[in-house]
Amino acid sequence: MTARKRRGAMSGKSGSGTHGPNQPMVYEIRVNGHLDRRWTDWFGGMTITLEENGDTLLTGPVVDQAALYGLLRKVRDLGMPLISATRVEPP
Amino acid sequence: MPAPILATKLYVPPPRTEVVPRPCLIRHLNEGLRRKLTLISAPAGFGKSTLLSEWLAGCEWPAAWLSLDKGDNDPTRFLAYLVAVLQTIETGMGAGAQSLLQSPQPLPTESLLTALLNEISTVQEDFVLVLDDYHVIEAGAVDEALAFLIDHRPPQMHLVIATREDPQLPLARLRARGQLAELRAADLRFTPNEAAMFLNEVMGLGLSVEEVGALEYRTEGWIAGLQLAALSMQGRRDTTGFVQAFTGSHRFVLDYLVEEVLQRQPDRVRTFLLQTSILDRLSGPLCDAVTGLEDGSRTLEALERGNLFVVPLDDERRWYRYHHLFAEALYVRLMSEQPDQAPTLHRRASEWYEHNGLPSEAIRHALAAGDFGRAAALIELSARATLMGRQEETFMGWLRALPDEEVHRRPVLGVYYALALVSHDLETGEARLRDAERLLDGTAHANEVVVVDEEEFRALPGIAAITRAYHAGALGDVSGSVRHARRALDLLPEDEPLWRGAAASLLGLAHWADGDLEAAYRFIADGMESLRMAGDATQSLSGAFILADIRTAQGRLREAERIYERALKLAEDHDENAPPGLADLYVGMAEVRLERGDLEAASRCLQKSGELGERGGISENRYRWYVAKSRIERARGDLDAALDLLDEAQRVYVRSPDPETRPISALKTRVWIRQGRLDEASDWARERGLSDRDDLAYLREFEHITLVRVLIARYKNERKEHLVRNATELLDRLLEAAEKGRRTGSVVEILVLKALASQAGDDVPDALACLARALALAEPEGYIRTFVDEGVPMARLLTEAANRGIAPVYTEKLLAAFDSVPRRGEGESHPSLAEPLSGRELEVLRLIARGLSNREISERLFLAVITVKGHNRNIFRKLGVRRRTEAVARARELGLL
Repeated sequence: MTARKRRGAMSGKSGSGTHGPNQPMVYEIRVNGHLDRRWTDWFGGMTITLEENGDTLLTGPVVDQAALYGLLRKVRDLGMPLISATRVEPP
Repeated sequence: MPAPILATKLYVPPPRTEVVPRPCLIRHLNEGLRRKLTLISAPAGFGKSTLLSEWLAGCEWPAAWLSLDKGDNDPTRFLAYLVAVLQTIETGMGAGAQSLLQSPQPLPTESLLTALLNEISTVQEDFVLVLDDYHVIEAGAVDEALAFLIDHRPPQMHLVIATREDPQLPLARLRARGQLAELRAADLRFTPNEAAMFLNEVMGLGLSVEEVGALEYRTEGWIAGLQLAALSMQGRRDTTGFVQAFTGSHRFVLDYLVEEVLQRQPDRVRTFLLQTSILDRLSGPLCDAVTGLEDGSRTLEALERGNLFVVPLDDERRWYRYHHLFAEALYVRLMSEQPDQAPTLHRRASEWYEHNGLPSEAIRHALAAGDFGRAAALIELSARATLMGRQEETFMGWLRALPDEEVHRRPVLGVYYALALVSHDLETGEARLRDAERLLDGTAHANEVVVVDEEEFRALPGIAAITRAYHAGALGDVSGSVRHARRALDLLPEDEPLWRGAAASLLGLAHWADGDLEAAYRFIADGMESLRMAGDATQSLSGAFILADIRTAQGRLREAERIYERALKLAEDHDENAPPGLADLYVGMAEVRLERGDLEAASRCLQKSGELGERGGISENRYRWYVAKSRIERARGDLDAALDLLDEAQRVYVRSPDPETRPISALKTRVWIRQGRLDEASDWARERGLSDRDDLAYLREFEHITLVRVLIARYKNERKEHLVRNATELLDRLLEAAEKGRRTGSVVEILVLKALASQAGDDVPDALACLARALALAEPEGYIRTFVDEGVPMARLLTEAANRGIAPVYTEKLLAAFDSVPRRGEGESHPSLAEPLSGRELEVLRLIARGLSNREISERLFLAVITVKGHNRNIFRKLGVRRRTEAVARARELGLL
């Protein structure tokens, strides 16, 4: 019983199970204001999507947590108001 | 050779001519001077630096300003700049710390900081130290250094940190104690009134209340946004249209406004801005090199006049930088509009920096250009200076940025990388070393090998051998370390005193660890001489300390004393400031004086050392102060105090390449034996895996002699023959080894123990024979404590020797020295007491018997009342009683009183 529970919790943690721990994770970073597409390279190839409410979504694969913090630091350096950072299922 | 200090990083930016006065924030900053730290934490573009330069211009206190950059994540570089910036307050401040920084043997950051703090505390005037752009710091080591600085801040220094994110410092604690003054985004953003004042009065735009409100709302008071908006509107007739379009847009404020500003510039200026956005710092000639034009200086001045986000970095208007936000927006435009141009621009910048003697900037741009061949060649040329300046982090950062194949064909880089790595990570360093060695011995394809610096290449096989010697030594492979260090000396050219000095010192330390003291002495003395020739004076005092240590182990006390005297005289004549290492010399001298039986002189030396403070000593040697103090307390009979001090010694002990010849746990065991705590002493021997049948090695000699002491003490209690037999056999082997290694200091102690073991076995003639040999060796050098510390049994033996006319003058002197020691109780286990009373406990007991109260006892013995109560508890426990009266009665019964 306990063992099954634990296994269940673990598989829940690693997502749907279609990608292992070495697969990059996909993150969605939401900032306030519409960002020019030219920032794509600066943000390491993240896709820039402009939302109608005036937010921008930066979406893309992130190799690891260190890379994620690197991206957040870039958001910080532009003085861009950060709204959220979420991990999403790869498309 | 330290890397050059860029003066532009130390420039206090002057206040701008046209700004919105912010009296409320200025007041807040002034009040913050009463606290430990002022933190200005807000995103880019909130006017942090502007506010600080405003404030400092009107502040009574002088100010030092350090603009941090990514390179300051190298703790050595950070400290070098910290010293440099403090010297803008007072010339010469931090000179001691600076010389420590330049010593090739890395010192723990904490000792450097302590040295620095001590120097700061002598400054007369209060001052402000600003650390700007602290968010670039990611290195934990720098955060820790800063936390230490804040914790031990001298009152005259007030620290201000400006940053885009909260630093990794104990902010919550500082806040809770009211030691933190803070300004955050909410405090810094322009209020509607300030926005109106800025747009209409400073920028002269004449906007309506509604327009100001709309702009303030759209930018949320973000000052950089309002400034860009104002720039976009200057000279524009239709400001209303601009405000409407801007406030109606969803575009990111920075994107929208930079676009507006750039569109209003002539093509020439626009191109200049984009091309020079690759630079961290801008000067006319550098900009010319990058753009290929000749109007750099004029353009920069025009940009400053036009308020186009350039910040001057000096008073002569030679260096500028772009406001960070603006630079980033420009760079992104460059990359999206002319991506192919960037590498060329970086390479031009790299060349300019190379020709202007700033190699690290040249390397950075070469790496950014992706021109790894160029980068590698530049790194090769500055490898030695960077490593000698102890900027290992910087060096390793460059090498990590290079592709492996570039390192693999460059033996100079390969060897230096291995040398830098090996002190951090033995395995990786060794792997790199193997690669480099293949290049050197020709097993790699020779046609691929690239060497830029032929001069450096000559020394390379020797440096590789030094790395091998270090690697072997760190793994405890003494013979390997010796072999490689010798090879290094064979390989190194004569005109390489620095490397020859390093190799000789390693060879010396290896010989010392191996017990060959004469060879160790010779090599370390040679190494010191080489290092002195190479211009490294800081090594001489710590070298003297090691040499005197070796002489002491050789039983040459007088010569050790002379080395200390000479070095002390040199240090005192040489400099008004105490050079680092001076405090350690006093500790060494204290131990010699103590051995000679002069407790007062020994205490005075320790006191002097203590007065010099931590900055006077090398932190690896700090534990030695406590060891020496402990020996003095022990000689005075206060064994509990001696133990406390050894605990303290253990707490401050740090491992170093110097062999650990007297492990602290063994020193503690010796005190336990004195206290009759034989179970603990036996446990120690078991935990250390010691046995009387062990193979002998010099590094375990002190422990083995301590084991002998445990065996003899147990024999006295248990009377089991094999104990004394094992002790004697081990002593014989130890004696042979010590005589072979000419370690007369050890020989004297071993003979003393042999005498005591024979005495315990009731073989008085043999005991006297051993004692006579010990006395003959010890008399010329004036040993006292080695005999007196053995307590009553030794006093009896000496009396016996004196009666028989053995060394009559010396024995009389030794016996006289016993008078200051409590004769009874100490060390002499009482037959009916499982755990004998210590000397101090007996003393307390006698005073109890005379009816003194705890307070009176504490006053008489100069102890805290709580300490006296502690002694009482021990006395009661050992005597198996619960009251003072019972204790006195029981002690009388046992004949203790």
